[in-house]
Amino acid sequence: MSKYLDLSLKEINKLLKDKKIKPIDLVEEAFENIEKNKDINSFITLDKENAFKVAKELENKEVDNLLFGIPIAIKDNICTKNLRTTCASKMLENFIPNYDATVVEKIKSKNMIIIGKTNMDEFAMGSTSRTSYFGAPKNPWNKKRIAGGSSGGSASCISSRIVPFALGSDTGGSIRQPASYCGIVGMKPTYGRISRYGLVAFGSSLDQIGPMTRNVYENAELLNILCGKDEKDLTSIDKEKEDFTSLINTDIKGMNIAIPKYFVTDIVEKEVLDKFNEIVEILKEKGCNIEYIDIDYIENAVTLYQIIAMGEASSNLARFDGIRYGYSYENPQNLEELYTKTRQFGFGDEVKRRIMVGSFILSGENAKIYYDKALKIRDDIRKSFLKAFKKFDLIIGPTTTTVAYDLESNLDDPSKTFLDDILVIPVNMAGLPGLNVPIGFSKDKMPIGLHIIGNAFDEKTIYKLASSIEKTLDLNLDPRGEKNE
Amino acid sequence: MNEYKTTVGIEVHAELKTKSKIFSNSANNYGKMANTCTNVIDLGYPGVLPTVNEKAIELALRAALVLNCKINKKMHFDRKNYFYPDNPKNYQITQNRTPIGINGYVEINVKDGKKKIRIHDIHIEEDTCKSIHNKNKSMLDFNRAGIPLVEIVTEADINSSEEAMKYLEKLRELLLYADVSDCKIEEGSMRCDCNVSVSKTEKLGTKIEIKNIGSITNVGVAIDYETKRQIALLENKKELKEETRRFDDKTNTTVLMRIKETGNDYRYFPEPDIPFIELNDQYIRDVYNNLPMLAEERRRIYLKSGINEINAQKIIQNRIISDYLNKFINKDINLVIASNLLLGDIAAYLNKYEIKIENTKLTDDKFIDVVNYLNSQKINSKVFKTILDDIMEEDLSIDEILEKSGFKEINNEELVDIIKEVLKNNEQSVNDYHAGNTRSIKYIMGQIMKETKGNANPKEINSILEDLLNK
Repeated sequence: MSKYLDLSLKEINKLLKDKKIKPIDLVEEAFENIEKNKDINSFITLDKENAFKVAKELENKEVDNLLFGIPIAIKDNICTKNLRTTCASKMLENFIPNYDATVVEKIKSKNMIIIGKTNMDEFAMGSTSRTSYFGAPKNPWNKKRIAGGSSGGSASCISSRIVPFALGSDTGGSIRQPASYCGIVGMKPTYGRISRYGLVAFGSSLDQIGPMTRNVYENAELLNILCGKDEKDLTSIDKEKEDFTSLINTDIKGMNIAIPKYFVTDIVEKEVLDKFNEIVEILKEKGCNIEYIDIDYIENAVTLYQIIAMGEASSNLARFDGIRYGYSYENPQNLEELYTKTRQFGFGDEVKRRIMVGSFILSGENAKIYYDKALKIRDDIRKSFLKAFKKFDLIIGPTTTTVAYDLESNLDDPSKTFLDDILVIPVNMAGLPGLNVPIGFSKDKMPIGLHIIGNAFDEKTIYKLASSIEKTLDLNLDPRGEKNE
Repeated sequence: MNEYKTTVGIEVHAELKTKSKIFSNSANNYGKMANTCTNVIDLGYPGVLPTVNEKAIELALRAALVLNCKINKKMHFDRKNYFYPDNPKNYQITQNRTPIGINGYVEINVKDGKKKIRIHDIHIEEDTCKSIHNKNKSMLDFNRAGIPLVEIVTEADINSSEEAMKYLEKLRELLLYADVSDCKIEEGSMRCDCNVSVSKTEKLGTKIEIKNIGSITNVGVAIDYETKRQIALLENKKELKEETRRFDDKTNTTVLMRIKETGNDYRYFPEPDIPFIELNDQYIRDVYNNLPMLAEERRRIYLKSGINEINAQKIIQNRIISDYLNKFINKDINLVIASNLLLGDIAAYLNKYEIKIENTKLTDDKFIDVVNYLNSQKINSKVFKTILDDIMEEDLSIDEILEKSGFKEINNEELVDIIKEVLKNNEQSVNDYHAGNTRSIKYIMGQIMKETKGNANPKEINSILEDLLNK
């Protein structure tokens, strides 16, 4: 059986260019991989027929870019024309958009091949992907454990080497945290770097789409084609075109790197903290200047996140009312019943919980007490980060406080799972770019990740450090264990 | 005992005259087949985002400027959250905290001078769908969803139905002439809601909202009815509750729609999908300087040129006529004659054939010629009436039309000959005249007019006639 998808992007590209393989070979292999990894439950919807059709059509086209003919998986909250987009919810179980998200248009214009839509927390609300209406995806490193979330399906399908590329979305860590749990590279770019048009909104002022990949270089290459100002998204920002791979594997000597003290307190499990400290030592050896700093209010970031994201979510999800699309309660007696029963049966518990909390937060005087205040403190966090970036090139910390935990644990208290994202949420509050790169394993062989935070629109410096660490550690990140460490 | 005092505050929604909707590029059209001017953004599909129509912002700014408002130079949109089938996203994008204009006023004429009706604020928002109720089914037309609106909210400064009507007429005139809105109440592009209360003291009474009033006249009717109704209830020691009533134009009364529940909770928060919009001073100045000529200025020019007040008002009430007349205000023509033609024979012609003035063959040159000919009495109004159809329908100059119709100009010599001939043929009348019967001269005039087919200038005829008769 062929194993082309395990090759590097450049190698695959060369084989395609030299006509040694065809895109259809890659698609075939991807679907074989999906079949083999069915138990991981990475996908909600497969687009097999169309993927083969597209691959066949590409045979007559010139291989004109690095991503040509490469299979990619899309998180199921990103709209794909004529392909079911469920947000892992009963509410959209049968929803087929007649429009593509801007990122999907970009992917198609580079002739990448979409093979399916990945599993996630319902409406991206969760940090375990367990709130999915279609069942939780599993962690490829230990199938009894969570893949993380909300982009758990995208993370697990990269980790299990089903496809080399996936898109995730990150409102409060939903790319970086599952990337850390699954041992892959996941980037949440600067807010505004990538168009949100077609991403089903959760917390609009925080949501950002990002690339999830096997390694740092390929991550930067995917970001290269996703970014850019979009006329359809007023919050996307016009920036001069740059190559995010440009600083990859350049010397990191002399880089100024800060570690917020809060990131290395006892909220982080010892095993994770030890691994992080090993990396800090390596960086010092390589000539980086490391300093421990304070970022104002970051200890409040989770609370702010709950206020802002849920407030916005309660409004964003109001449109699911059973009138125009999606699940609709049959034969309601009146309008009130159409609304209440559609939303009662269409949404899962976590979504309903967040809509209720969000509605409460915005209600009457509460808007001033909670929401307005949260926006102010959020602004202070951003300023505090930006102040740090006057002196430092990057800020680092562990991505998560623990490794991926058991699928059955932390089910009793819904507020507990928010702590999974305690180290990644401050970055969403500040609108900054952040990336997870794997730095090793726990003693029970679960991946541990490093969180690298950059200044606004300075993703390429993040890639610089991440690539250096990746190269130095040279970890075997294939959970199939076919290669020996 | 004190008299009851009526207090009224008015909220007006006016649709902005843009080509496309405020947050999407689907067309802003009235009267199209249902759900043909709509797209996934208007329908509130998952994942789609709003963009902002700059023209809508410009028109709203114009409105804020003509209402003498202070402009919020850094403004944003807010979400107003409520569930209703006509509200596709179940939130409406509007302005709550930073309306584009605040603290303005509109000046109206009242018995003892002028009165300022203060404008609390003017804000931009999207229109909802149109609900159509048919037996036990409800249908939604999304053509209206997302049409840009401004909502103009007065302070409670209005104290009578007359003031309310004057305010609305003035507001309509301002918005119409600033090219902000069509202000067609019958098509729903201008909608008024009134808050009416009565009180014997300085403290305002219980506020009753009246919706669905289909004309400015009916606003007056509704306020008068509501004032009487509320006073009657109070006199009967009944307590008034805050409620929303609907105006019924069949019975000229107001009908209860719903009792207002305490504190509607719209859960306003800043719209995160649209960044703050900055209106810089230069932009505001440019918009101000490019305002079309407003009604006040037009009225001033018309009165100065000798047009009487009634006609000036009539012209201003018809924007098309006013714009047409304005093309000639700097030309050397008699504006009184021009305005009489436009309000009289030309308006009648346009009405009769249901045609627009720009779709006729009446060119600016032809209009200038015809006004000048009438002014110099080269033709009279009777001739004008006869050739009006040709003027409007033929690609010919006025001279060519006159010639074609046989209205040849008669020179002085010819005229003297004709008059001599008439006098010769009507000796009896000439004798009567000399005998002191001045009335006979009218008969002679008639005969001359008949011979000249009305082509001669009556003044000239008169002077020649007098000469000949008194020789």
